[in-house]
Amino acid sequence: MPWPPKVFWVGAILYYGFTALCWIAEATSGINHVVGLPFWYAAFLGSFVIPLVMSILYFYFPEKAEEARGGA
Amino acid sequence: MATVEAPVIGITVLYFLAIIVIGYYSRQRLKSATDYYVAGRQVGAVVNGLALESTYLSPASMLGLPAYVFIIGYPFWWAMAAIIAGMPIATLLTASALRKYAPTSFADYYADRYNDERLRWIVGIVTVIGAVLYITLSIVGMALFLLAIAKVPYIVGIVVGTIIVMLYVVWGGMIATSWNAAFQAFLMTVAAVIAAIAILVKLGGIDGFYAAVAANNPKFWNTPSDPEAPHLLSGTWIAVIGWFFVWHYGFATMPYTVVRFFTTMDIKTARRSIFWCTLAAGIFYMALEVIGAASKLMIETGPMGGEGANAVAILKNYMGQYGVGVWTDYSMIAAVEALQNPWVLGILCAGGLAIAMSTAAGWVMVVNVLMTRDWGDMMLKSKFAKENPVLLARIVSVIFLLVGLVIAINPPGLVLDLSGWAFVVIISALGPGLVLGLWWKRATRAAMWTTAIVMTVLHLYAWLKAKLVLGHHAFFFLNDVIFGNPKALITPHQVWAIPVGFLLFIIVSLITKPVEEEAVQKYCVELTQEV
Repeated sequence: MPWPPKVFWVGAILYYGFTALCWIAEATSGINHVVGLPFWYAAFLGSFVIPLVMSILYFYFPEKAEEARGGA
Repeated sequence: MATVEAPVIGITVLYFLAIIVIGYYSRQRLKSATDYYVAGRQVGAVVNGLALESTYLSPASMLGLPAYVFIIGYPFWWAMAAIIAGMPIATLLTASALRKYAPTSFADYYADRYNDERLRWIVGIVTVIGAVLYITLSIVGMALFLLAIAKVPYIVGIVVGTIIVMLYVVWGGMIATSWNAAFQAFLMTVAAVIAAIAILVKLGGIDGFYAAVAANNPKFWNTPSDPEAPHLLSGTWIAVIGWFFVWHYGFATMPYTVVRFFTTMDIKTARRSIFWCTLAAGIFYMALEVIGAASKLMIETGPMGGEGANAVAILKNYMGQYGVGVWTDYSMIAAVEALQNPWVLGILCAGGLAIAMSTAAGWVMVVNVLMTRDWGDMMLKSKFAKENPVLLARIVSVIFLLVGLVIAINPPGLVLDLSGWAFVVIISALGPGLVLGLWWKRATRAAMWTTAIVMTVLHLYAWLKAKLVLGHHAFFFLNDVIFGNPKALITPHQVWAIPVGFLLFIIVSLITKPVEEEAVQKYCVELTQEV
């Protein structure tokens, strides 16, 4: 059965894990009430940095694997 | 016409000239039908990435999402974050495999993977419904920016906007669409960022912005765990999770993004283009999140507000003045207008036109290939379609834009709302067949047909019932039957439809005859190896 490469799951766990942790911290510690903090974790990290890191992982490692196989 | 400052007119005219020039010159590179349909598969990573951003994100993003933040509060930021995170998810889920396969139309994969040419009909029908709704929404969006910012009469706005899109799509097909979409992405991102920075500066930086928003609306930063949620639609964690997932997988499965994977030079370019898309879209969304959060405050403390001002009342006045759309459509524009800077407004107008035009053009390119090549040439065996593919594609483009224009003259509110429905129905009806077709050998032809038909009909019924009977499309359509309360369960845009679509597909696949082994090997196993 075809199965997405391991790096796909690394990115997925990174993003969903980060989101879950933020929501847990909001529900238990109220981090959403720390002045300015939601901008940094939900907008800067959640909407920009972490998706960007995922997109880098998703082209860097497949390209590395192709090079190792001697492909393009 | 009301008074409008020179920078607004100047920037808008310059924008129109720029995209006409790009469209005109790109036609010189058009040599074949493949050039027209998929830009000769020569689009680089940066151009394709930016084009992906502007095509995927429609006026619903630029106008609708800040309005949702304004209404629903901070928890909606996570729905926006999930849209961006859906972009890299698509890299390995669909984009790489589909670029390896290198089809021409959106329906090719379905027909080949399930070994059934007739699937071109059903895939085409669902896509055409989505295209008409989105093209109309985009034309209305263009006119709304022109009306509210440049004070151009609505009817003039829809005609001018449609003619310009028509010109460059007809001239240069996917080549013109790609280059223009890349330029449009740059412009709309810059516009949103400039507006957001101006707001942050005005409010005293990020901490000042947070404090000012909290002072204006004490519930804004709350979550469902706080005593008072910002809004009923963000009042429970189930609702927040629902918003998070509702648009999350669209990028991997929507026709107007999927076809952009076909235009890249190779699989490496396809993957890298998603990096550029995520980069630009992430910046764009951060800016929209700030604008949406500050909207109420900016409107109530701006020149239209004052002591005891109410943003909703001000926006309802806007709508009464312009008479188009709903009051929430104006929240983003009104927030930026409150800055009283004509240069920022001019760039916002150009950026708004850019996001609307690129989405309209992207959808036109999807349907002109489907109707010309798939239906005309391959299914109906039309001699005219076979011998004149580019001419026919141009005719189809003009027809779809004219249909959108006619509906946009007096757009029924329901038609504009239905574009949200169309987005989810395409993911739930056609998404399982695309994703599972690639990653699950057992995916069957019967499941593809069943899911496409059942989810389209069921989702239309559910959406209409929620909207017209229960009062809002974000209410679960069986709330009255199961809970006896129309507002019992909030499931935005019927987010249940996507898992139900996948579940239905899996169940039907397990009880029906598998597709021929050769097709499975070629369009499932080989395509997903080493993506």
